[in-house]
Amino acid sequence: MARKKSLDSATRRAANGGLIIVIVAIVALEATSLLQYNFTHRVLEAEANKRAEGQLKATELQILNVMDQVETAVRNSVWSVEQQLGKPDSLLAITTRLVATNPVICGSTVALKDKNLAPYSYQEGNVILTSSLATEEYDYKNQEWFLSPIGLGSGYWSEPYFDEGGGNMLMTTYSVPVKDKKGNVAVFTADVSLDWLAEMMDNVKVYPSSFSMLVSREGRIMACPAETLVMNHTIEDLAHLTGDAESFEGINRALLSGESGRASVNLEGKSQYLFFDSVDRTGWAMSIVIPEEEVYGEVNRIGRMVIVLQIIGIAMLIIILFFMIKSQRKMQEVELNKSRMEGELQVARGIQMSMIPKIFPPYPERGDVDMYAAVVPAKEVGGDLYDFYIREEKLFFCIGDVSGKGVPASLVMAVTRSLFRTVSAHEKSPQRIVTSINNSMADMNETNMFVTMFCGVLDLKTGHLRYCNAGHNAPVLVGKGGNAELHVIPNLPLGVLTEMSFTEQEVDLECGTGLFLYTDGLTEAESATHELFGEERMYKALNANLCSGEQIQAMTDAVKAFVKEADQSDDLTMLYIRFMNNHVSEETERHLILHNDIQQIPQLADFVEAVADAAKLDVALTMSINLALEEAVSNVIMYAYPKGSDGLVDIEAIVRKDSLQFIVSDNGIPFDPTAAPEADISLNLDERPIGGLGIFLVRNIMDEVTYTRSDDGKNILTMTKKLA
Amino acid sequence: MEVKIIENENVMTAQLIGRLDTSVSQEVATALQPLLDKADKTLVLDCKNLEYISSSGLRIFLTVRKAAAAKGGKVIVRDINNEIRQVFMMTGFLNLFEIQES
Repeated sequence: MARKKSLDSATRRAANGGLIIVIVAIVALEATSLLQYNFTHRVLEAEANKRAEGQLKATELQILNVMDQVETAVRNSVWSVEQQLGKPDSLLAITTRLVATNPVICGSTVALKDKNLAPYSYQEGNVILTSSLATEEYDYKNQEWFLSPIGLGSGYWSEPYFDEGGGNMLMTTYSVPVKDKKGNVAVFTADVSLDWLAEMMDNVKVYPSSFSMLVSREGRIMACPAETLVMNHTIEDLAHLTGDAESFEGINRALLSGESGRASVNLEGKSQYLFFDSVDRTGWAMSIVIPEEEVYGEVNRIGRMVIVLQIIGIAMLIIILFFMIKSQRKMQEVELNKSRMEGELQVARGIQMSMIPKIFPPYPERGDVDMYAAVVPAKEVGGDLYDFYIREEKLFFCIGDVSGKGVPASLVMAVTRSLFRTVSAHEKSPQRIVTSINNSMADMNETNMFVTMFCGVLDLKTGHLRYCNAGHNAPVLVGKGGNAELHVIPNLPLGVLTEMSFTEQEVDLECGTGLFLYTDGLTEAESATHELFGEERMYKALNANLCSGEQIQAMTDAVKAFVKEADQSDDLTMLYIRFMNNHVSEETERHLILHNDIQQIPQLADFVEAVADAAKLDVALTMSINLALEEAVSNVIMYAYPKGSDGLVDIEAIVRKDSLQFIVSDNGIPFDPTAAPEADISLNLDERPIGGLGIFLVRNIMDEVTYTRSDDGKNILTMTKKLA
Repeated sequence: MEVKIIENENVMTAQLIGRLDTSVSQEVATALQPLLDKADKTLVLDCKNLEYISSSGLRIFLTVRKAAAAKGGKVIVRDINNEIRQVFMMTGFLNLFEIQES
């Protein structure tokens, strides 16, 4: 749980870090984009202003230019008109000349105030026609162009208008008052077509969908691409039509007071810029409408693209961070699992090691066998095993190597070792032991793991070795005359096939001959340069003069010197068994326990007989020893324990090469037979006591007799007889 | 262990057959009672088939000897093997008994 928690908090920290990175990235990106957007926006706005104002000024200049032409032409003709006011025919000649000589003037009249007379010349196609405006329907004297100049007493530009009679043209009329010396008053006019203006406004586009409008002094729309609006509506009407009343009313006010400027309006459902400027002298206003979309279209498109790219980028950043955090978490988990696994493997290793004998020398009291084993474990748990024990004076031993490594191998190793113990408990033949283990293993071997094993049974009395190999490396016989590989029939490893038949072999070991068993971890130990230790080096390190402990140490040192710092990849297991005596044991012990019943004396005699046999004593000495023992033991049986109570006598015989030792002990009352006075055998018949001969005999037969009373309340009589 | 008593006119012979160890000494002592009763005669302990003798056996021999001495008889130990002779030597019995070879 604690691990899990720390893992979570670590992940949370990583996630928080990731979140901060994302936020910082977003803020930085957005700030940069916003700055850039605003800057671009301002540049584009300034550009739009420049273009619109430039266009307005250019148009205005053209209008003023035309007006100047017209005003000059009219002024130059005023004198002639004043001279001819009384002669209508002459007046028509003046107007016709004016129209003919000035292309911009498409019609002209001189309308008299006092008479109903208004001769009119006008251009139609390439010819100049004449007519009169003085008709009943028209009533020219009430027209603006007539009334205004008279009222003002100066030239006057009319509001633009559509001339329906003269060919649906947008027109304006410049009219000046004339007065002759006779007091006749008239108005002299020049009609100017403004078609060029409408056309120019249509054609000149500052932006693809921008358009221009011409607005009269009274706010009437005179030229506009939306033809339905032309002449029929005023700017004020637009306020109602578009719904954007506020903007248009403001524009209207500004226009009426002759100001120029820019406003944002909502027209045709779009946000548009409306630039306006008044045209001097006429009081008209020019206007250019530019959809904001077009001004900023590019930057908006780029902006949108930038936003999309940013979203994609940030999404990718988040995804990358997410995967980084995830992989980091995975790595942490892997790390944790690894350390947990290593801990468990250590435990497995401990369990495994506890299964094999580890106390060396294992039989310090035995002179007939000298053995030592070592496992140099690899970093990872391996599947090496060895085991041995003595039963009925026979040394049962095995060495094995489980295929593979790690926990599975160690489990199989444990199973194999248990099988060896179980099977060998009631089998003396290594062949049957191996066969039995093989059948058990092959039966349940679903993982197809196998074990190589060498199994031997050494008779410690004779040195006769029976062995059976199951695919393991051949052990080496280490003798005084040199080393030799023990001849083995390889056979198959254990666990491969059930009902495999294994072949048993045998050999007699001479006293002092060693059997060196090992796993391939030894010969395949690798140096840093990937060279193998090999059999040659192994043979070199084997020496018949070394005792088992020294031999294992020598081999371990040799491997270490060869491998140096290189990692050990496999377990390295060695078992060295030296057979020390193929005749009589250097020292054998026998043991007899009797009750304090004198009838058990014959058993003692049998025991002594057997001991004497083992020590190969002659009949006379056997009898003497027997006698001494009987005296010592019968003494205990008869006197150590109170009459009628049950007690035991313990007799231990130790046969050595050069001596025979008996230890008689009991839990009876303290009695030191050695303290009894010496019997005097020189006394004559009358003087000699009947008893007292027993301990005398013991002393005389044995070379050394000692008595001790042990701390745990035992009488211990030790008798030693030296052997020649 | 077997004891056979053969009674002649002036000689009481006891054939000792087997091992005379502590475990049988009591019964041997009982079996030899007739000899002690006739200790005024010549008592023969025939050891031809005696394989072994322990100190308890020696005690019986000594008892018989003392009884004979007390009643004016005599004791002859006949045909002891080498091992027993060694014990006799060790214990000074050779000086106390008349040993005969048949």
